Amino acid sequence: MGIYFPPISLGFGKSNMANRNPIDYRDKIFKTMTFAAAMMVLVLIAGIFFSLVKQAVPAISKFGFFRFISTATWDPVHEVFGAAASLYGTIVTTVLAMSIAIPVSIGIAIFMTELCPNFLKSAMGTAIELLAAIPSIIYGMWGLFTLAPIMGDTVEPFLQQTIGRVPYLGSLFSGTPLGIDILTASTILSIMIIPFMASIARDTFNLTPQVLRESAYGIGATRWEVIRNVVIPYSRKGVLGGIVIAMGRALGETMAVAFVLGNKHEIAHSLLDASATITVTLANEFTEADSDIYMASLFYLAVILFVMSFLTLAAAKFLLKEKIES
Amino acid sequence: MNTLTKRKIQNKVALSLSVLAAAIGLFWLFFILWDVFRHGLSFITPDLFTKDPVPPGFEGGGLRNAFVGQMLITLVAMVIGIPIGVLGGTFLSEYGRHSKLGRFISTLSDIMVSVPSIVIGTFVYAIMVKPIGHFNGWAGGVALAIIMIPVVIRTTEDMMSLVPWSLREAAFALGAPYYKVITQVVYRGAATGIFTGILLSIARVAGETAPLLFTSFNNSFFTTNLNDSTPSLTVTIFQYAMGPYDDWHGMAWAAALVITVAILFITIAGRLLIKWRYRS
Repeated sequence: MGIYFPPISLGFGKSNMANRNPIDYRDKIFKTMTFAAAMMVLVLIAGIFFSLVKQAVPAISKFGFFRFISTATWDPVHEVFGAAASLYGTIVTTVLAMSIAIPVSIGIAIFMTELCPNFLKSAMGTAIELLAAIPSIIYGMWGLFTLAPIMGDTVEPFLQQTIGRVPYLGSLFSGTPLGIDILTASTILSIMIIPFMASIARDTFNLTPQVLRESAYGIGATRWEVIRNVVIPYSRKGVLGGIVIAMGRALGETMAVAFVLGNKHEIAHSLLDASATITVTLANEFTEADSDIYMASLFYLAVILFVMSFLTLAAAKFLLKEKIES
Repeated sequence: MNTLTKRKIQNKVALSLSVLAAAIGLFWLFFILWDVFRHGLSFITPDLFTKDPVPPGFEGGGLRNAFVGQMLITLVAMVIGIPIGVLGGTFLSEYGRHSKLGRFISTLSDIMVSVPSIVIGTFVYAIMVKPIGHFNGWAGGVALAIIMIPVVIRTTEDMMSLVPWSLREAAFALGAPYYKVITQVVYRGAATGIFTGILLSIARVAGETAPLLFTSFNNSFFTTNLNDSTPSLTVTIFQYAMGPYDDWHGMAWAAALVITVAILFITIAGRLLIKWRYRS
């Protein structure tokens, strides 16, 4: 690392160099330009928040906060709006997608760091990256035309025949299996977030010092014992950070679920029911909203989604940062 | 059964499960890609790129309007997003690298990379569609630019901080002012990385649908006038796939194939470029 730190902090105070060399006003101009560009991020985030809140004001003042998030009615005809059904859909699909994706992505990360032969490592890495690069609309469309029929014709009837017979648990799989439902949407969502989680978990697994692994092997631990007792505890925070980032993504995913969730504003009791998430509601109804309060309610939903995902992602950043600094 | 055998069995089971997980990941990737190819390939015809859509029920037609619209919107996003992103990244890695504000903005951009794109669509609707009174292509471009900026900022910052300090010091020693050091030394050293970051950000926004739904909307006619609602491939896929006609579905698959191949191509190219540049 360099010892020379150019005499520039943040402020616009005089720098020594500019004093000495009169042509260096150019440096100031360049610095101001870069500063303005960087500030755009701040301006945009503040701008998004305040303009959404401003648009949502009629709905905020009419429905309040707690009443809005606890009302499940979404009735454009009588102009009664509540976010409960969309919020419920968002949370249920996210939680379900996470519970499918977490074990799979940790498995992938273990495979890539501990098992994969070297010549396969980079191919596997590329494959995971490609899975992350496929646009969400492709996932959504594929879900509608390919996955939904498979789920509706084969998987869901099978689940009803098996788990569906178990008391209590069975009610989760009641109803007619159509394929356009929470289960299909969560499956697609899980495929979408696996690459994010897997690559962060892989990177943090790789941070485990080789010496720690070797000393565990040295006292006779099996490979799995090394992973479970050395690698995973060492990278706990990083993996957790990856999980939370993926959760933030899942909360805000639109197109992958818009095709297969059905946009039904009811609190679904079965995983085979259609539902709605905040994103699906926005995507389907934003261009159709015909009254001011309808529009304002949609903006209100957008504010809630923005704040939810922002806080989630900030928490993830915090976890990952701590990991790097410690 | 003694403990050793038990531990060995445990080991085998756990490791097999992780191989299974990797297989599941690969299975989804190939399943999706194969499906897109299988359905899309037969609808890839010259007409797809050279003809405009015809009303449902008529034979033929293509998606020329959507291809052109998509390019225009992406171009607007690039013209706005790339300069702001590169300059912002420059500030974070050079002038502001030790300042609290710089670190804070860097963290914020990281968060903003993952902010739901549909929220950005609603924001641009509020500032650029509602005041004007109708959907327009510019708004779509701005929405994509907003998604692009944090991506470019973060990769630029990372790539510039990979340039060794001794190079900058050598330039300072010759009496170069900081802006010259940045533009003539640091940018050159980081050029491949920054370029790759820009490529990947284009790949990222090219597949975005949600922010275009209520900004540039859609248009079944050919237009180069961005003051009007502008068609894009992704929104067209959404509309056609949700529509009731079989040839719409076919077109949607074809468009999906084109966009997937383009994005995967850019992603792989970017990855190879980075590997080639930083191979040591």
